[in-house]
Amino acid sequence: MSEAVALGGTQDQLGPPERLHPLYLLTGLGQTLKGAWGIIGGGAYFAATGRWWIAAIMVVGFAILSLVSLFLKWLKLEYRVGSDEIRIDSGFLHRTSRAIPFDRVTDVDLEQGPIQRLLGLAKVKLETGASAGSKEEEGVLHTISLARAEALRGHIRARKGLATAPAAAVEAEAPPIYAMDLRTVLTAGLFNFSLAVIAGLFGATQTIGQPWGIDPFQRTFWLDLLARSEPLQRLIMAHQIVGILAGSILLIALGIGTGLIRTLLREYGFRLDRTQTGFRRRRGLLTLTDVTIPAKRAQAAILANGPIRQHFGWWVLKLQSLAQDGGKGDHVVAPLAHDDEASAILASLDWPAAPAGGRWHPVARAYFTSFIGILAPASILTLIGVPFIGPIAMLWLVGAGLAIFMRWLNWRQTRYALDGGSLFVETGWWRHRRNIVPLRKIQSIDLTESWWTRLFGICTLRLGIAGGSGFSDHHIPALTRAQAEALRAELLI
Amino acid sequence: MTALAIPSDLQPVEPAYRSALRVRAAIFWVPVFIAALVVDRNFLAETPFASLLPVLAGAIGLSGIMVAPDRIYRRLGYAIDARSLRTVKGWLFHTDTVVPFVRVQHIDVTRGPVDKLFGIASLVVHTAGTHNSVVVLPGLSPERAAEIRDAIRLEIRADAE
Repeated sequence: MSEAVALGGTQDQLGPPERLHPLYLLTGLGQTLKGAWGIIGGGAYFAATGRWWIAAIMVVGFAILSLVSLFLKWLKLEYRVGSDEIRIDSGFLHRTSRAIPFDRVTDVDLEQGPIQRLLGLAKVKLETGASAGSKEEEGVLHTISLARAEALRGHIRARKGLATAPAAAVEAEAPPIYAMDLRTVLTAGLFNFSLAVIAGLFGATQTIGQPWGIDPFQRTFWLDLLARSEPLQRLIMAHQIVGILAGSILLIALGIGTGLIRTLLREYGFRLDRTQTGFRRRRGLLTLTDVTIPAKRAQAAILANGPIRQHFGWWVLKLQSLAQDGGKGDHVVAPLAHDDEASAILASLDWPAAPAGGRWHPVARAYFTSFIGILAPASILTLIGVPFIGPIAMLWLVGAGLAIFMRWLNWRQTRYALDGGSLFVETGWWRHRRNIVPLRKIQSIDLTESWWTRLFGICTLRLGIAGGSGFSDHHIPALTRAQAEALRAELLI
Repeated sequence: MTALAIPSDLQPVEPAYRSALRVRAAIFWVPVFIAALVVDRNFLAETPFASLLPVLAGAIGLSGIMVAPDRIYRRLGYAIDARSLRTVKGWLFHTDTVVPFVRVQHIDVTRGPVDKLFGIASLVVHTAGTHNSVVVLPGLSPERAAEIRDAIRLEIRADAE
């Protein structure tokens, strides 16, 4: 304790030192295994090449090392809860004493993985302003008992003059502002299919699949699989194209399936409550998370969808906040919400979801024509080159045509509006989004133009908004210079 | 929008900024030119590309030292009113930034060795935004930079009270 005293100073107002739950030795193992891919890979290599004893030494040595290090971590991590702050002393060789004043704690998040749920444990995360954007976890108590975690949350809330612990029970009875049943979760999952998974699977079948004979783009794969189905076999024998088609369908089905499972795991039992100071979100099938999102820290709202969801009037509603959603960017407050549900959530923040009266302004046509201008010279060259280059040139032209058509669709969907102290910007067709930014949250305004956009008399207005993942870029493309300057003057009011 | 000069409602920065840019460009380009000469002598002398590299590096370097600083200076301007700082820079990639004083988190006045040589300073304004969270206005006289800093600081305090 001597180090802690030296680092920590007075202990009068701090409570007694507490340790993490002893079962941390079990729950912490998962984290250690995640970082051990090198060991696992090395062990597999030695095992595969017949050198079993090296693999065994590696595995046993690693197990002992990680257990010892976990035990040391557990032994050396102590936290003390005071009336105004929490002190976390940790580290074996490099010792850190971290003090987090409750005034600076904005939310207390609880997370329960499957093992932790079985054993009645929880992981507590204290969010402070400084954690915005940084990857480092600031105030994390990895494993403590659920009862202690809830008591700690109640204690911090009480110190901050907020609703105390019993309020959680009251909230549970109040109807949630937004909730998802299983059907909605599955529908949301359908839209969550990831092209990345499909691309990854495609790469895998092409590289490692071939030696093992699982390449769904080959006729033989389907021939083996459907050896007993005579007519289909004949069809595939006849056409390689059928093999390609079936392979694509299989991969797309896998991509959709992956999206469904991932969404189900994450969003199951989604429930959003409006609390005194913000939102409380609970979700998860195996890993339960319980996150508070303070309303004051919300900087902007992002409504996103794609062409199909737009047709049905569904949105994903995210709040850009100073904190990150578990390192994954903006806080999702509704994974699949109708217009009126999204409006209700935003209305509880006193933010409008759409401009009153629907007075949207389009952006300049040059958004689209300047893009043609970029592609035109190359297209003309290719057109001249068709007799020499052959069908590849045609393919390129089709691609350019598609790109221009997409740009036109994007242009049709791009518009902005200024109403009731908020700026609304809609962009994109395939990745359609509506950004809602209250004017008082704007940090800086940029007007940018390059020599090319200057030829078309347009410039881009870009807003600096606090927080966010960096992907949430707030800008209005293709405004005329006069329009942009007038809008900027209005935004600065 | 004339492409040749900054709008008339903006103030230019100190002319000494041109000299500072020149020295900085020279510090970068002279070693590059020497390296190009060495590479040319030792490896490329026998190839058809002999002396192409030093000529290219020399031409780009010379234009960077002689021509570019003047153009950068001509297109850099700023304006300050009661509530915001506006900086305008560049032609090929033109940027026009406005920062309301009430959004400023903190302010730096920085001077490097080259800046000290020519008696100039840079004003660096930090906002909370993720995009463009640092706005730099180079080429001010140290007194002017301090003056702007104090004006903004007063504004921050007024907002806090």
